[in-house]
Amino acid sequence: MIKYIVSALVLGIGAGYLNSNWGSIGAGFWVSDYVFNGALIVLLFVMGLVFGLDKESVSKMRRMGLKILVIPIAVALGSILGGTVSALVLGLDVVKTMTVTAGYGWYTLAGPLVGQLFGAQWGALGFVVNFLRELFTIVTISLTARIDKYAPIALGGATTMDTTLPVIVRYCGSDSLIAAFSSGFTLSIIAPFTIIAVAALR
Amino acid sequence: MILADGSVWAGVGFVIDLRMLYLVVPLVVGISLGYLFRDRRKVDLGKVSLGVIVVLIFSLGFGIGSNGELLRSLPEVGLDAVVILVFALGFSVVLVWAARKLVRLE
Repeated sequence: MIKYIVSALVLGIGAGYLNSNWGSIGAGFWVSDYVFNGALIVLLFVMGLVFGLDKESVSKMRRMGLKILVIPIAVALGSILGGTVSALVLGLDVVKTMTVTAGYGWYTLAGPLVGQLFGAQWGALGFVVNFLRELFTIVTISLTARIDKYAPIALGGATTMDTTLPVIVRYCGSDSLIAAFSSGFTLSIIAPFTIIAVAALR
Repeated sequence: MILADGSVWAGVGFVIDLRMLYLVVPLVVGISLGYLFRDRRKVDLGKVSLGVIVVLIFSLGFGIGSNGELLRSLPEVGLDAVVILVFALGFSVVLVWAARKLVRLE
């Protein structure tokens, strides 16, 4: 199955690149916005349906309750801590690098926001680090799902409420739906706040 | 200011993200419907959803391929980005594992 997903990703990147570089036929926005959102809405409905039908998944979610919120908190702390350590290793500005990793994979937020705060070069880094986070989560899913059921959720960060969610649920099972969605949801809400809060440390 | 993904930047440090509602609604409707029919025989939606996942990932790639700014940034900051990402991901996985053990989340 992973070969279908990776092929679709590669073909999509190629098609998007060709479309925007050789006489865009105006379909670009249509594909990357309407088709993307339509597919996502269908998938969320289907995943919800399968989850609701499964008695075990529902009772497992009830048992977990609010404990489930430790996952996004751990992802947030881990990402920012990873930013600190990597800045020390690379000799970069520690606070600026922490704002980059505080995007948790949401590159359309982290790119412009970090760019606004610290200039275009840091914006580019915010863009790329968070973009690669999403890409890495999708491409490595078949391996990371085997290490630990929650590893793909930790990797996906804020993207586990949309782009990486269907892939995670395919590999980790229907009972991971709520853990993944709530983690991505929480991280998406706190991402802009944590980027600004970390930036204020300077 | 409106950001690239449609969220509205309110300036005073908070963002109203329009993604939130339109994703929560189909999920909640799906779960409720599924729960309502939970005694019926299970349907296999695997094949349906793989097709839609492929469409989703293709259109995700299309957005990436069309994003000139992103593609130009890649070779510039690629190496630093990979190192930063490895640490961010490593610490995320380890802390999630530790937090799960701490609160006994199965």
